Amino acid sequence: MTNSGKRLTDLLDPNFMNRLDSLDVMSRKILQGKLQGERRSKRRGQSVEFADHRPYVAGDDLRFVDWNIYGRLERLFLKLFLEEQDLTVHIVADASGSMTLGEPSKELFIKKLTAALGYVSLVNNNRVTISFFGDGIKCQLANMRGRSCLHKMAEYLLTTDCEGLSHFDNACRQIAAGRIGSGVMIVLSDFLFKDGYDSGLRRLIGRQYDLYAIQVLSAQELSPRFTGDLKLLDIEDADAAEITVSSALLKYYKRNLTAYCNELKDFCAQRGAVYVLANSADSVESLVLNYLRRIRLLR
Amino acid sequence: MEWLTPMIAVYAAAVSVPLLLLLYFLKLKRREQIVSSTLLWKRAVQDLQVNAPFQRIRHNILLLLQLLMLLLILLALAGPILSLLAGPGRRYVLLIDRSASMNATDIEPTRLDAAKEQAKVFVESLRSKAFFSLRGDCDQTMVMAFENHAKVMCNFTSDKRQLNMAIEAITPSDGDSSLAEAVVVARAFAQSPGLEADFLSAEEPAQLVLFSDGQIHDLEQIVVSSDELVFHCIGESRNNVGITAMQARRSNEKPNEINVFATLANYDAEGITCDVQLTINSNVRAVRSVTVPPQKTDSNSDTTQPGKVAVNFSLSYAEAGILEVRLLQDSRRAGFQLDSLPCDDAAWAILSPPKKLSVLLVTAGNVVLESALQSCPVARLEVHSPAEFDAMDFSAMSLEQPYDVIVLDNHLPTQLPKCRYLVFGRPPNDIDVSVSQQLENQVMVDWRPKHPILEYVNLTNLFAAKCYKMVLPRDAEVIAEFNETPALAMVRRNGSVFLLAGFDILQTNWPFEPSFVLFCYNATNFLGMQVGRRQEHNLEVGQPIVVEGLEPEILAQIDGPDFSGIQIKSSSSGSIRFAGTSRAGMYNLSVSSQPIRVFAVNLLDTQESNIYPLREIVFAGQPVKAQESSLSRANVPLWPFLVGLALILACLEWLIYNLKVRI
Repeated sequence: MTNSGKRLTDLLDPNFMNRLDSLDVMSRKILQGKLQGERRSKRRGQSVEFADHRPYVAGDDLRFVDWNIYGRLERLFLKLFLEEQDLTVHIVADASGSMTLGEPSKELFIKKLTAALGYVSLVNNNRVTISFFGDGIKCQLANMRGRSCLHKMAEYLLTTDCEGLSHFDNACRQIAAGRIGSGVMIVLSDFLFKDGYDSGLRRLIGRQYDLYAIQVLSAQELSPRFTGDLKLLDIEDADAAEITVSSALLKYYKRNLTAYCNELKDFCAQRGAVYVLANSADSVESLVLNYLRRIRLLR
Repeated sequence: MEWLTPMIAVYAAAVSVPLLLLLYFLKLKRREQIVSSTLLWKRAVQDLQVNAPFQRIRHNILLLLQLLMLLLILLALAGPILSLLAGPGRRYVLLIDRSASMNATDIEPTRLDAAKEQAKVFVESLRSKAFFSLRGDCDQTMVMAFENHAKVMCNFTSDKRQLNMAIEAITPSDGDSSLAEAVVVARAFAQSPGLEADFLSAEEPAQLVLFSDGQIHDLEQIVVSSDELVFHCIGESRNNVGITAMQARRSNEKPNEINVFATLANYDAEGITCDVQLTINSNVRAVRSVTVPPQKTDSNSDTTQPGKVAVNFSLSYAEAGILEVRLLQDSRRAGFQLDSLPCDDAAWAILSPPKKLSVLLVTAGNVVLESALQSCPVARLEVHSPAEFDAMDFSAMSLEQPYDVIVLDNHLPTQLPKCRYLVFGRPPNDIDVSVSQQLENQVMVDWRPKHPILEYVNLTNLFAAKCYKMVLPRDAEVIAEFNETPALAMVRRNGSVFLLAGFDILQTNWPFEPSFVLFCYNATNFLGMQVGRRQEHNLEVGQPIVVEGLEPEILAQIDGPDFSGIQIKSSSSGSIRFAGTSRAGMYNLSVSSQPIRVFAVNLLDTQESNIYPLREIVFAGQPVKAQESSLSRANVPLWPFLVGLALILACLEWLIYNLKVRI
């Protein structure tokens, strides 16, 4: 871990990384990778994990004939093994201006979470792609593999700034067009998009990818502590909303927020995606070690 | 319901309502707050508006409450009153007693103030002619104050402000109370229409409303019908000890010795021991403890008499000075208040230094007159012949006045210096007294035995063989009359005083009468002591201060117990007359380049010292009972309710605001 670079420790605690070593990313679908990896694929192939037998036909490789059965039954059977393949883990993180807000900021939380998930994936020899999006894909670090990329990933995470507008649909179109293979796709964002999240998410949900939507909101967004007469300014598009904070208004805000989150959750559930709501004030460690294991993103 | 000050409310509304609305329409300066997204906030605001059908009103409920509150305050400013009176408008005359007994402090601060307060309550209860009044009827009221004279404070009006100001302007006095004049004046005013009597007929009798303690001297002279007068009795206590008589005199035999006589009267049911202090020029000369007996009730006539005690002081004092007799609180009884009426606890007298008169007799030779004057206690008697008198420097005599009295016996000088004259024979020329003819055989028919000049003088047998028929000016004072002409008369002209006897003394039988010597004594004494430079300085309340023998048109200043610096000008005849002696105490009159003249004005009135409030007064056989209940407002002012309601609204607004902003 020490050789993973000093930069990564800016995001992740060494003790936390120690505990991450024992985890791996799980895909609910057993998916075909490009290279032979450490993952079971649906395809039978060469590996140590036995899957099934089938009768020998002419032309089969004699190395896979189960001679023990032939000794007992005097019939030729071929041993079938599950082929272990690599897994693509694609982390799509929001890098628009809205992520800079919150105490602690959503940006830090997302970067920490990205680092943790990237770390888990890299140490397990999975293919890792990290995309930051704003008004389209801002930058992307594709096809990293192995511990050697940890330093690169850390540098990438720490040098990317969150700013500008967000256009989720636009970004998703670019991601969907550019992705190859299959695996796990984790979207980290606050999902507060004025043009909606549904068309974007619909593009990402496909046969090849297991989609996890992790909505990160700050404590200030979850329960605002405003008082008085305010002019709310949107950090991204400078849109203004004039409010007089009252108990009724806050009640309606919270009701709307809950409805919005539930809507997103239902949207994901209906499409086989997993929805997770995270508070940026909570610790990334407990989210990764407890919650993500419970929903079987990690094991 | 009536409105007292509707225009004030209208002006206030014109200013405040647009201002409040303007404040609401002003754009609120909002604090800027950066958020991740306004998405959910806008939805929340929309929901808030959508979910409240009366959101516009709900949003502005504070404005509505504030407008309502403002409206209530404006209504309160308009002074709404709920009148409980009914019937057509009436006319009232408020008669407020301001005599000495009304200064009693048994009701705090004084009875007069309590009477004024009750009168104000009465005025408040009247129906005034106001804007927005639901009725056309209004009451008209006149305010009068009375002691021994009546004073109209305000003619008939329905303007409550003017009436209240008139009531407020009533000042206390120490005069005795007589109501007859006030009733006569009130009736006279009631006959004539008032300022606003546009629809009230003058025939309609005005109701008299009397605020007094009932101690009125002349009730027997007044006739009132049974429902013409309403009496409100002011006063609670009868507790009073007062000085009801006081006199300071120099002894005839020893002019340096002064005898002071005072009478104390107690009107309480218990005897009182108090100290009587005598001071001269503020130096205490004697203090004597006196027990005044309680008042006595005569079982036969069922009348009460105050307990009286006489106090005499005798002391030696040869100077001029101010003598004061004062009742002191008994120091042995701590916290004991002597009585309720302070103005009769002291009496004053002005002491003149002992002086004998110097008299000039101008006569061609009259032994009778000369010997009569010699028998008088005069310091100096000079006798000059008419020629000698005419040769004197009259201008120097006018200034220095070396003689107190000049007696002219059958002499008509061409010019007269300023002095006091006793004239026998033909009256002098320039004094507006003309002589039409000479009469014969006149007998005395009438004289004023109580006049100081005729004190102890019996003129029954006076007969004049010849005398002048005097035609007197209107201001002359006739003291004695023959059957066809005034015999003795007093005329004041050009700063001089002339006592005219229109006959030659030797043409009458008077020299043979003992009354002649007495007359000479009285006349010189009166002219020299009382109307001359030694004029009467001891007065009663209401008695005018009169100073004669001054330069004409000269300015003088008078300071009294309740005022100072009143300027007064002497008349063309060189006299000053000041009638404003309504309070007991010392009055100073200063004329430039002359010593200050001091006057003592005393109450010394047994009836005013009696402060027992009468619940029933009897007018010439018609008893009138005092109103049992004190006056209450027939007009209920509604502004306190409106202000209270506005206060409740303010609390409600505060509550709603807090509910709205509470998180």
